[in-house]
Amino acid sequence: MSAAHDAELHPNEDIKMGPLSMRVQWIAWPLGFALLGLTVFLGSAHGDHFHRFFSSYLVALTTVLAIPLGGMFFVILQPLTRSRWSPVVRRVVEIINTALFPLFLLALGGIVIPMLMGSAGPYHHWVDAPATDHLVHEKHAWLNVPFFCARIVGYFLVWIGITTYFRRKSVQQDESGDHAISEHLRVVSAPCMIIYALTVCFAAFDLLMSVDPHWFSTIFGVYYFAGCAMSIFAALALVLMFLQRSGKLVHSVTTEHYHDIGKLMFAFVFFWSYIAFSQFMLIWYANIPEETVWYQPRMFTSWADLSYVLLLGHFVVPFFFLLSRWTKRYRAPLALFAGWLLIMQFADMFWLVMPELTPEGASFAFMDVTAVLGVLFVCIAWVAASARKYNLVPVKDPLLGVSLGFENY
Amino acid sequence: MSKRKKNKAKSSQSAPAKTAKADANEVKASEAESAEVESKDAEAAAAESEDAEAAEESEPVSAKADDADDADANDADDSDADADADADDSDADADAESDDSDADADADDADDADADDSDADDESESVAASAADDSDADADDSDSDADDDDADEPAAAAGGAGRSGSADLDAHEDGELYGLLAEFKTPGELIAAAEKIRDAGYTRWDCYSPFPVHGIDPAMGIKRTILPVIVLVVGISGLIGGLLLQWYTNAFDWPWIVSGKPFFSLPANIPITFETTILASVFASFFGMWGLNKLPQHWHPFFSKDRFRKASDDGFFVGIEAADGKFQRGKTQALLEELGATAVETCYVSTDPRRLSLPKPVVGFIIVSLAVALVPFALVAKARTSKSEQPRWHIFPDMDFQPKGTAQAKSDLFADGRVSRMPVAGTVARGHLKADDHFYRGIDGGQWATSFPAGFEVSMEAVEEGRKQYGIFCQPCHGAVGQGDGMVHRRASQLGRNVRGWVQPTNLHQGTIVRQPHGQLFNTITHGIRTMPGYASQIPEADRWSIVLYVRALQRSQNANINDVPNDARSQIRQ
Repeated sequence: MSAAHDAELHPNEDIKMGPLSMRVQWIAWPLGFALLGLTVFLGSAHGDHFHRFFSSYLVALTTVLAIPLGGMFFVILQPLTRSRWSPVVRRVVEIINTALFPLFLLALGGIVIPMLMGSAGPYHHWVDAPATDHLVHEKHAWLNVPFFCARIVGYFLVWIGITTYFRRKSVQQDESGDHAISEHLRVVSAPCMIIYALTVCFAAFDLLMSVDPHWFSTIFGVYYFAGCAMSIFAALALVLMFLQRSGKLVHSVTTEHYHDIGKLMFAFVFFWSYIAFSQFMLIWYANIPEETVWYQPRMFTSWADLSYVLLLGHFVVPFFFLLSRWTKRYRAPLALFAGWLLIMQFADMFWLVMPELTPEGASFAFMDVTAVLGVLFVCIAWVAASARKYNLVPVKDPLLGVSLGFENY
Repeated sequence: MSKRKKNKAKSSQSAPAKTAKADANEVKASEAESAEVESKDAEAAAAESEDAEAAEESEPVSAKADDADDADANDADDSDADADADADDSDADADAESDDSDADADADDADDADADDSDADDESESVAASAADDSDADADDSDSDADDDDADEPAAAAGGAGRSGSADLDAHEDGELYGLLAEFKTPGELIAAAEKIRDAGYTRWDCYSPFPVHGIDPAMGIKRTILPVIVLVVGISGLIGGLLLQWYTNAFDWPWIVSGKPFFSLPANIPITFETTILASVFASFFGMWGLNKLPQHWHPFFSKDRFRKASDDGFFVGIEAADGKFQRGKTQALLEELGATAVETCYVSTDPRRLSLPKPVVGFIIVSLAVALVPFALVAKARTSKSEQPRWHIFPDMDFQPKGTAQAKSDLFADGRVSRMPVAGTVARGHLKADDHFYRGIDGGQWATSFPAGFEVSMEAVEEGRKQYGIFCQPCHGAVGQGDGMVHRRASQLGRNVRGWVQPTNLHQGTIVRQPHGQLFNTITHGIRTMPGYASQIPEADRWSIVLYVRALQRSQNANINDVPNDARSQIRQ
């Protein structure tokens, strides 16, 4: 790459959220709280002691959580690889990662506190397990309510700590332009990546896999991570398009950056499929009852339809469409598939959690949708509020020029 | 023909001076300094005179081109090279155009000349055609063909010694004109030049730089590669091929149950299908990239230019081939100079067949290697189609012939020649007496025993043991209930007529079997019957009796009446 392609930030570039932040908040705050309130109402009206509500809430939380968790991966990865294409879009991801705050509060309010107050939350299979359930009894040292709640709080504190640190350092560089900050983050990113891998893996075990405490899969953490990484690139593409339509970053973010985001999105679509199939094939082949029990409802009841939707919608269709350079370089198809893959992330979480609630067959309730939209809008409002404080571009990042002039060959 | 001979003589004289001529032949880009630097060679003066001569010669030669019969090889070829330099000469152009029809006709002759080198008249005609056709793209092929023929001559005569100052024959000397090589100072100038050359409509040209210059592709007007399409198509072929391979091997040609899965089960096939897809895609992208880039290319005409070595250091080059339809030596050179080239060189490519072909030792090595590589296949083919009395080869004789006695083998040590020794006469090994006919052979008083032997206790434990042994040894053929429908039989039925001579195992509930005495059943297990092998070596006697007991229990279960059911369970049955 020749130095001739270094570019300067356009002098008229709009890199502040300004009034746009308030406009988004005006819509997102009321909408988010209204939808969450509606969800609670629908949950109580469902007449099953909030069983359905907790499962819907867990689906909503893990669906939206995937975006900032993927963002955390992205933010740690960029200094680690000294990536040259990404500085233009990195700050937007750093800001998206502030969504971990509201998600922490929502996890506290919707899962941790109810469980500490005696509710089983979505985990009645192990919280309320009968004494005769030998397997759950054996796992009691790990799966007990106080330790579980402590772990959930711990994960969120680690995530918030690391993302805040990376964001704060990056913003410091906006002021000082100190190259040492980039070098420092590069050193820090390696251990952070290890911490990230372990916390996401165990969070997936705790939040999602323990819904069925009798079943286990060692690849499950990677499975959830694959969805996270896919979600952030889908969300990032949509957020950037929204910002550019609102007149922000119009000169900085180019087709080349969308192309790279699309490529990474494509990569993780395939990665998800690879991991999902790896998990399935070993269990299918060994055919051991204690493992196949998890796939039983998902293959031999009406849940199988959702399994096929995931196979096609989460893999086959996006794989073949995103394979083309064209779909990644044009806004409309990229936006279409980014939105579609976020819906698929929701379907995936739904597929993980809900068959444990109604193993006899597929079930759907209106609150499943209101919950995820409620959580999403609260997070959007929070992120929009946070965004006001920051430049949307790391203006003094040493690699910004290269990133601005970046081209795919 | 006299001129032709003269040409030969000249070229043979000047052959050893090639390097010097190559330098002399370089056309300097309006820089007197560099011209002088290059002209340190003894022949440099001749180079300058060459241009002058060329200018003089070209016009008469172009004129002569009309008269194809008179045009001789020497002059015509000079004009080929030199008329380029004067291509902007309106006379030459006019001549060339007015001769279009002649040239076309001559192009045919040129093909003839290809076929028959000794036909001097045809050859000279075709050369004349080439002279007339410098600006006529239609006749390009004939042009180069003719040159090929012609160039043979000096090459063939190149064995002669001596130096010659006649630089005007350089074109002959180094072969046919390949193209112009222009050097630029910076990547930026290279891109600017590439854009102009692209806009001028050239097609057969290329840029050379020490590192990938970003933006050169659009500047050169290179279209996006079709490699992705090739990879996609080949990748999908790999996917289909992988699936077909597994279907053919595991479900069609040799159906075989693995892990109780269906013959053709997609989940089990995915990993291999995935691998074949990846393999095919990687091969397609790797070899496709090489193929589309025309690699491997060990040699290029520009390598003959010392200056071109800078292309791997700090030089940025544009090379335009003479084969380009737009190529006109003078105009093209002027264009390159105008674009800011620091130097423009003319490059010739030798058409000497001896220089174009591989050295003889290399050819010999390749032929010998190929021949040797065929030997194993030939041996395999021979072995598969012939019979031999010879014992097979022993690669590890000390493993194949170990110094030990094996069963049924000969031995020189013992008088009777046997390795296996007989027991001492009149003795029985401990535990091998087997005098109890009832227990060991199922015979009681000369008849098949109708009762169980004294050493065998009929109990629930014995039935359980019998069930276990039956499950291990009998069930695969006779089935869990003994109806002759075990896994082996079901498998054989599934394969249908592929299994020859398969007979269904006996249904143990047939009357004949039910009525057989215990001793006869025992004997059948011991020695086998019809296609059933004997199990004496695998099942100890006590276990064989337990199997007999379990078979009896099975038979009773299949022919039971209400009296066989315990009293307390009868009420359940009635319901």
